[in-house]
This record gives sequence, C-alpha cells and structure tokens, in this order.
Amino acid sequence: MAGHAPRQEALEGQFAERLTAHLNRSAQALPHDITERLRFGRERALASRRSVAFQMVTAPAVVHTGRAAALGGPPSLWLRLASSLPLVVLVAGLVFIQHHHDQQQIAVAAEIDSALLADTLPPAAYTDPGFSEFLRSGDAP
Amino acid sequence: MATDKELSDCLKSVEKRAFKRTVYAVRDEDAALDIVQDAMIRLAEKYADRPAAELPLLFQRILSNATMDWFRRQKVRNAVLQNMSDFDTDGGSEDFDLLESLESVEGMLGAESAADTVSRSQILLLIERHIEELPARQREAFLLRYWEELDTAETASVMGCSEGSVKTHCSRAVHALAKALRSKGIVP
Repeated sequence: MAGHAPRQEALEGQFAERLTAHLNRSAQALPHDITERLRFGRERALASRRSVAFQMVTAPAVVHTGRAAALGGPPSLWLRLASSLPLVVLVAGLVFIQHHHDQQQIAVAAEIDSALLADTLPPAAYTDPGFSEFLRSGDAP
Repeated sequence: MATDKELSDCLKSVEKRAFKRTVYAVRDEDAALDIVQDAMIRLAEKYADRPAAELPLLFQRILSNATMDWFRRQKVRNAVLQNMSDFDTDGGSEDFDLLESLESVEGMLGAESAADTVSRSQILLLIERHIEELPARQREAFLLRYWEELDTAETASVMGCSEGSVKTHCSRAVHALAKALRSKGIVP
C-alpha cells in the first residue's frame, strides 16, 4: 500500500510523457506565419529591452546635469550668479537707455535755446504785447 | 544579468510551447500571439537584470499572469472562476485503471505502421481538444509539470498554489485525459 502512490505517480508520468510527445510534434509543426509572428514578438521584446537599458544609462546623467532645475536641489554660488546675470544685464541696459534719452532731450533743448538767443530780434517783436510784458517783468536775459 | 543572446535563446526555446499552451487556454490564435508577445516584452523590460537561469521560470509566471489578464479583459471572469474552482471529478476514476491504459500503450508501440501516420494528426487534434476541455487549473498544472518539465515546486510557484494542489491537478488531468481518449479508442 505504501508503494501505491509513487507507482501511481510514475504511471501518470509515463502517460503524460506520451501525450506531451504528441504536443511537441504539434508545436514543432506550427505554420510559418505563426513562427514568423513569434519571431517578430521576440525581436520586439529584445528591442524594448535595449530601449529600457538605454534610458537607465542616460537618465542619471540628465538628472545630474539638470539637478538644480529639475529636482530643486540647492544650487551652487556660480549657478546662482549665472542665473542672475541676465537680470543684471537687463537693468543696466534700461538705466543706460534712460540716461541716453535724457541727454538727448537736454541737448535738443540747449540747441533750441542757443539758436533763439543767437538770432537777431525782429522789429515787429516790439509791437507784440506778450513780448512787451516779458520785457517788463524783468525775466528777459 | 542575462545577455541579449541568452534572453533571445530563452525566448526561442519556449515560444512555441508558450503559444500552444496559450491557445489551449484562450482558444484564439491571434489572442494567443498577443499574449505571448506581451509576456515576452514584460520579461525583457522588467526582468532584464535577472540572471539567465531565472528567465524560463519567470517567463512561465508572466505568461500565466498575462493569460489571466486577457481573461479579465474579455470579461469572462465567471467562466475562469468556474474552471479555477473546478475540483470536482466525475467519480468514475475509481474504476479507471491507468495501468491498463499504459499496458495497451506498450502493446501498440511496435504495431504502428505507415498507415497509422495519416491518423496521427487526427489523434493529435483529439488530444489537443481534450486538453483544451480540461479545467483551467488542471490544464495549466499538467502542461507546466509535464510539458514545460518544471518540478512540482516550480509549478506551484508559477500557479501560486501548494505543491499538493499541483499533484492533485496533475493527477486529475492525466486521468481525465486517459479516460477521454480511451473512450474514443485512442491510445496516445
């Protein structure tokens, strides 16, 4: 009785072996289109593996170089200086433009004043009431 | 870590049986091809760092999971659960003599002639049909244990059950197949 179970298992194994021999023949005789599609699937799997491996290799480099921007890690002093440089240049440019504009306006006004002062006074000006008033007020040069 | 060649060789060695095994389960060649390809890709992407020796067993596990996923997607869960919980035998196994069947197999071995070759493909079709008709767990245990030649512990690991359950499934599958084939006068 004790040897019944192992003997039964052995018999089952033998029977299964005969069945799977048939199945093996069936698997080896698969149609060409099926084997081709299996080959395609296998190659696709290998390609996807290479793609994943490539990402695993390149990803740490990207994370390292883009650490400050991507992950919000503490930036170094040089990175801070470099990132504030455009702002400094912009402010300096605006100040320069404003200064240049003021200088231009002053130059134009001075040119008009000197042209007026250097010009001869026409006699008709003395008949102008506004000019007479201007002379009386003592503001004339 | 397995090399590309090791992975390719591993897949090449199991792909045909994997396809047939999946066809027996889902009974649809196109779906079986999709499932096998999906399993191959999952193995290649997620377990690329594993040693080559682990790949065959991992692939079997992934394939089983992929097949189950397919059944879930097909919304035939009820049918799957019915098969999974189908531990019932037909009660006729007690009077069934496997030894008698095997002895007749031995007797037939030398008797096969060229004329039998024609009927071999028909016999194969019947065998395959009866394998398809097995309850899912019995079929999976039978194919993993005897066709993929995994040992009982490995089969249990792939199926997520105990070794005792594997032995029970395998035994019932063998008896069911032997009985079904004998009833048609077929000796494999």
